[in-house]
Formats: sequence, structure tokens, C-alpha cells
Amino acid sequence: MAILNTDGTKPIYMQIAEWLETEIMNGHFQTDEKVYSQYQLAEMYTINPATAAKGLNLLADENILYKKRGLGMFVSENAKERIIQKRKNQTLKRLIEEVVLEARRLKIGETELIDMIKASQSGGGVA
Amino acid sequence: MKVIECSNLTKSYLRKKVLNQLTFSIEENTITGLIGKNGVGKTTLLKILAGYIKQTSGEINVFSEKPFNSLLVSANTIFVDDQMSFPSPLQLHEILQAAGSLYPNWDMTFANRLFHYFSFDPKHYHNRLSKGKTSTFNAIIGLASRAPLTIFDEPTTGMDAAARRDFYRALLKDYLTYPRTIIISSHHLEELENLLEDVLLIKDGNNHLHLPIEELKEQAIGLKGAEETILNWTKDREVYYKNQIGTNTLYAVVRNEFSEQELQLAKENEIEITSVSPSDLCVYLTGETKRGIDDVFIDR
Repeated sequence: MAILNTDGTKPIYMQIAEWLETEIMNGHFQTDEKVYSQYQLAEMYTINPATAAKGLNLLADENILYKKRGLGMFVSENAKERIIQKRKNQTLKRLIEEVVLEARRLKIGETELIDMIKASQSGGGVA
Repeated sequence: MKVIECSNLTKSYLRKKVLNQLTFSIEENTITGLIGKNGVGKTTLLKILAGYIKQTSGEINVFSEKPFNSLLVSANTIFVDDQMSFPSPLQLHEILQAAGSLYPNWDMTFANRLFHYFSFDPKHYHNRLSKGKTSTFNAIIGLASRAPLTIFDEPTTGMDAAARRDFYRALLKDYLTYPRTIIISSHHLEELENLLEDVLLIKDGNNHLHLPIEELKEQAIGLKGAEETILNWTKDREVYYKNQIGTNTLYAVVRNEFSEQELQLAKENEIEITSVSPSDLCVYLTGETKRGIDDVFIDR
């Protein structure tokens, strides 16, 4: 049984969508391959199939998946690129905004902040 | 198709109106959570739906028939609660047999599997079961009957955490294979919210809210920050809940009508933004003292 974050910070259907994105990114689903149905997702996560469908539809609206009537949802061409673009413009951007905000609260200057990011990138972790 | 349609449903006991002009409908093959504080008439409503009691006034149709004294509704409905009574001379396995002869969709294999999984003794008697075991046994009857309208009134009373989780998962898995209309009343929305498609929230028997659970989740947002900033941000907004933390921090739950830009601006103003769990929101919505709340409810 798959585990969901139930502390209420993120809607379940978005968690489902993100998990499917990660599966696509990992190469578990290739272009034009069928992804899990709303019923399979509902069973895997113990959620209402309507919620699972909402997660699938979110990805269809973003053209990461496409529908074949009566057959299910399939991975679009360029799905990976779309996911990368989306995460860059939304998730990463939001995280950076939060980092910048927290740095401002702590009165950490630009140079120090960039140094910390560099240290983190080179695998040393944030000191 | 709508399995349940009721309009202006009212039930009075003596002079007290328990349900007052309730109007809603429930679609076929959905799972609906019935939420509300103690004494708002949840059980009364469920018993009217099942045809156990009759309303004082108003219209109710279940499978397009008036449920009271209806064979059609009785044959297609099961009402599960911790008061279910079974003939006391019957052993548990005999009760399963008897239930099988009453419900056309009964699945004896499924019933037996659940029965063994939850370690019941076939020779045991129902009235000697513990509170949690009684609920578990009744839930098995409710699941295995596969009634087109399955009503659970506080089904998990007394069950331990593992049994509750197993019950919810069994319910969902069986529903996926055999879709049916399910209504569950519970005080533990946080435990079953993922199972639900819709929520029917009752406040004092007449004000109510009926909406998809996903909308309920997005209905409100929590803002935490300096008192002055929060008051400024929540001005002219629908405030569901307010809580002073320390001397100068305020936590407010408001209707979520903010744009992305506004939220970003709020963050820059040192406001912490959190989502509000449906379970907390229901508590705020059914609270009696919060101002502004009644506007949310359908006005009747």
C-alpha cells in the first residue's frame, strides 16, 4: 500500500499527479505508454477514484498525459520536457523564493547565500 | 442517476425540530461522508433514508420511492450501526447465513474471508462480543451485503486503529470492484477523507454544505503572522476561525479567494500560509460562535 502525506499540506490529487510525474521522469512510463487507471491508483493509495481521476486530469490538462477514449491515459510526447519546465517554473521557483525570504529574515547576504547553495551542490551539505 | 433526493425534509421529536427543511440529493455510486456535531440529526437522517422512521414533513425519495414501508428500499439498503440487533440464539456463522438469505447481492466467500481475517469464532454469540468486535462484525455484514445503498452510522465505534484502517481499505477495495452508493457518518473525517467523493456537512439540522471533498479542502486557508498584518489581510473576508497565539501572533482561517500574487505578497509580509485540513475546517464550520460562517451554507 502506497503512503500519502496526509498532514493536509498538499491535496491528494496533486500528490498523485506528482508521483506519476516522477514515474515518468524515472522512465517507468515511456512515451505513448499507458499509465495507471484511476481505479488502479485508487487501489494503490486507498483513495476515492474520483480523486485519482482528478490527478490524472490535471496531467492531461498540462498535456503531460493524453486521453484515448475508453482506453485510458497515455504519456504524451515531450512529457519529460514539460514536467521539467513545469517544475522549474513552479516548484523550484517557489522553493527559491522561500530560501531567499528565509535568508532575508536571517540577514544573510547574497554572497553567503550563493556560497551555501554552492556548498550544497558540491555535496558538502549546508554548513 | 440520483439514488437519494430529498427536499424540505423535516423531522420533529415533540416540539424540537431535529432536521429542518433539509434539501439535497446523492448520486449513484458515490461515497459520501456525513459530518456534523453530536445531536445535529445525522442518525435521524440516516434512519429516514433507510426507511426506519418517517419524516414529519417534506419529501424524500430513495430509488425513486418513499423509503418508509417500502420493500424495494428495504431490499436494497443496509443500515449498519452499533445497535444492529440479531436474534440472540444464533451463533455468528448462523447470522452470516441468515444475512445471506436476506440480501440478494450477499457474497458469502467475501464475508467468510473477512470473518476469518478478523479472527472471529463461528460459534460465538453476537451479544457477547466486545464493543470493537461488535462494530467489526456489523461492518462485515455491511460490506458483504453489497447493498446498492449502504449506510454506515459511526461504523468504527470501538475499533482499534488497525481494524479501522483495515475496514476503510476493505470498503474502498470492494467499492472499486462493486460500485455502490455508500454513506458514512463519522466524527473522524481525517481518517476517511481520502475515501470520500462528497461531504454532506450538517449544522443544527438545517444549514448544511454538500460538496466534493476536494472543494472542501480548497475552501479555506490558514494565515499566521503578526496580529496587525493578519487583521489587515482578513478584513472584508470571510473568517471561519481566529486564534490568538502569544501576545502578537494571530492565526486566522479564511475563505480561500486569494490569487497567486496575493499569496506571494502575503509571504513577503511575513505571513505563514498553511492549508486547513477538512476535519479542522468542519469543526470551524459547525462551531456555533464564529461570525460570518452562515454565509457559506446554502440559505434556506
